[in-house]
Parts: sequence; structure tokens; C-alpha cells
Amino acid sequence: MSSVLSLVHPHDTAAERNGPAGDDALVERARRGDVDAFELLYRAHSARVYALCLRLTGDSAKALELAQDVFIRAWEALPEFRGEASMTTWLHRIAVNAMLTRRRGDTRRTSRIALAEDDEDDARALAAGSSPARDVGTAIDLERAIASLPPGARRAFVLHDVEGYSHEEIAEMTGLASGTLRAQLHRARQLLMKALSS
Amino acid sequence: MTSTIDHLSFDQLCELADAPVTVPVHAAWRDHLTACSECASQLAALASLRAQARRLPSEVAPPPELWAGIRAELAPRERAHRASRWHTSRWGLAAAALLVAVSSSAVTMVALRARERASTTAAATRPVAATTASKLPAHLASAELGYARSVAALRHTLDERRDSLATSTVETVERSLRIADAAIAEAREALERDPSNGVLVEIFTSNYERKIDLLRRATELAPRT
Repeated sequence: MSSVLSLVHPHDTAAERNGPAGDDALVERARRGDVDAFELLYRAHSARVYALCLRLTGDSAKALELAQDVFIRAWEALPEFRGEASMTTWLHRIAVNAMLTRRRGDTRRTSRIALAEDDEDDARALAAGSSPARDVGTAIDLERAIASLPPGARRAFVLHDVEGYSHEEIAEMTGLASGTLRAQLHRARQLLMKALSS
Repeated sequence: MTSTIDHLSFDQLCELADAPVTVPVHAAWRDHLTACSECASQLAALASLRAQARRLPSEVAPPPELWAGIRAELAPRERAHRASRWHTSRWGLAAAALLVAVSSSAVTMVALRARERASTTAAATRPVAATTASKLPAHLASAELGYARSVAALRHTLDERRDSLATSTVETVERSLRIADAAIAEAREALERDPSNGVLVEIFTSNYERKIDLLRRATELAPRT
């Protein structure tokens, strides 16, 4: 029983492992307006932020816009960064907020019922990352299926099951009630299991 | 069906899948899972989905145009930031120059006292004074090497941008640098005779730092060409 119930730890990357200590000096320089220092922070964290943006949007053009928005907001908000959370978590929060702001301003409410060609490219890009070759096929299927989820369900699944954030952390990021998040997450899992088994 | 409940709902299965292993499973659910292969299989599929999700790559290299776009957005903000720092930096430069001047007086005083003490000691212990140049202790020599590298890099940058500075500013900076150099040289000479003197060490290092600060402020005043 414990094997199927066991939890896998959230993603742990080089940027995060080396992040807090190495980032401090760069953050301080960037706060003083040093764009070169900010570029180094960008180089350290952009791959994780971009992966999240791709998964949250399910669309490479939107992901590019969102990621750009994230780093510009981060630049402006650097004076408020206290280092209590890791830089990655802080950037992820900004990404989720930016995503929510965009969605509020987006009058289009069309649900995604089919995968477009670019979704397949996105899925391939996402799956290609660090997965061993034998897993790439499965990963592509899963990425495509994630991209096809309704936005709320996709966000809940990506933040909880892919990124490893807790319900409480996601509730704090999104401002949604825990019950709503659970419902979205469960719906996402149900849809994914159905999509992957068909 | 040997269990007392029908099937577990999907929400209940998700709750089980999300529960930490340390949390005991509800007895009725556990009994049901033992007896019901359908629910056990659903739970296994759910766990497999979560495991696959966690194995997805956490990083995807962004296209090069992402940084180009960010950089373009930041450029006006950077210019505004530099402009707002302009006046502060000018005052900062003046303050740095003043500090160098004040500290050079202090070093002169302390160094002279140290020199007098060293001379007295040397005269008392050595009938013939050794005139060969002594060296700084290793840790100070190493620190000086680091300072020298920073000074050289900043000096190079300042020389490149010198034309964009007002003549009076250049003169102020150069005069302050000469004062700093004199203070450093004096402290250095005194330290060679009295390497364990903590006050001299402090004066030696703080003057290097002030010199570097002065150079840094001067380079900030000079826009890139």
C-alpha cells in the first residue's frame, strides 16, 4: 500500500540547490539597477520558469509572453524579495499571478477540446528536457494531455503534481479556496487518466 | 464484494494518493482496497500518473528571444534608474573624496607614531639599521593583490570613459586618488616595520577600500561610450 501512496519529492534543480546563497549577491546588485546581475539571475532560473509557463499556458507563444512578463515583474519587485522563499518559488508565484491577471483580462473563454499542432511541439519541447529516451514517448503523451486540460485544472495539476507544491501553497499563490483547488486537481487527474488510457 | 462499502469515490482515491505515508489510512478504506481490485487498480493508476508527472523535466531552455525581449523592456527603466542615481553619485563621489582626505590625515598621524616607535625599538635592539626592504605579512600581501586587481579593472574602465567626465570632476578624482595612494603607501611602509599593529592594518585596508569606492563612483558617473 505504501508504495502506491508514497510521495515523490518536488523538483530539485541545480538552480534551486545553488540558488539561495549564490543568488543573494546577484539580487543585491540587481536591486541597485545592475542589469548584468539580473541577466545572471535570469540565466540561472529561466529554464524552470519557462517550463512552468509552457505548462500553465499550453502554448509556446503565450508561454514566451508570460515568461517575459514574469521577469519584468520580478525586476520591478526585486526590492520586495526578502529571500524567505527560494528565488524559483518566488518566480513561480509571480508566474501564477501573471497568468491569473492575463486570464482575467482575456475575454476569450473557449475551452480547449483538441490539440493544435503547436501543442505537440510544446509537448515535445517539454518532454525532451531531461527524461531518459524510453520515457520520452510517455512524457510527450502526458505533456500533450496536460496541454489539453481546461485552464483551472491544468494549473492545479501542474502546480501540485508536476511542481510539487502543497494545496496550501497553491491556495496562497492563486487566492483560491482549498476545496476549489482539490476539485480542479481531481478533475485534472480524472481527465488525464482517461486521455492516457484511451 | 467482501467490503462493507461499495467503491471508493475518485475524490477518496485522490485523498489516499495525496496522503503522506505517515498518515494512517482510514480502516474502512484500507479494508476495501484489500478486497476490491478495481479500486486498488484505480489507486495504482493514480499513483503512476503522479509519479510520471514528477518525472517530467523541470527545465526547458527558453528561446533566445526571451531575454532579448526582457532586455528591451528593461532598457528604459535602466536609463531612468541611472538618471535618478546621477545626483546621488555626484554627492557620493564628493563624500568619498572627503573621506579619503580625512583618513589620509589619520594615517599620517598613526604611521608617524608607529614609525617613531619602530625607530626607537630598532635603535634599541639593532646597532646597525637594516635598510633592506621588508615585506608585508602573507595575508596582507594577498589582500593587497586582490585590491590591486580591483583597482586595475576600475582604473581601466575609468580611463576608457574619462572623456565623458567634466574636467573638474576628473581633477577631483585624480587628486583624491593621489591622496589615497599616499595614505596607502604610508600605511604600507609603517606596516612593514610594525606588521602586528591592528590600527595600521585597519588604515591600510580601509584606504584601499575607499580608493576602490572612489573609483567605482567615478566610473558610475561616466556613462558607457
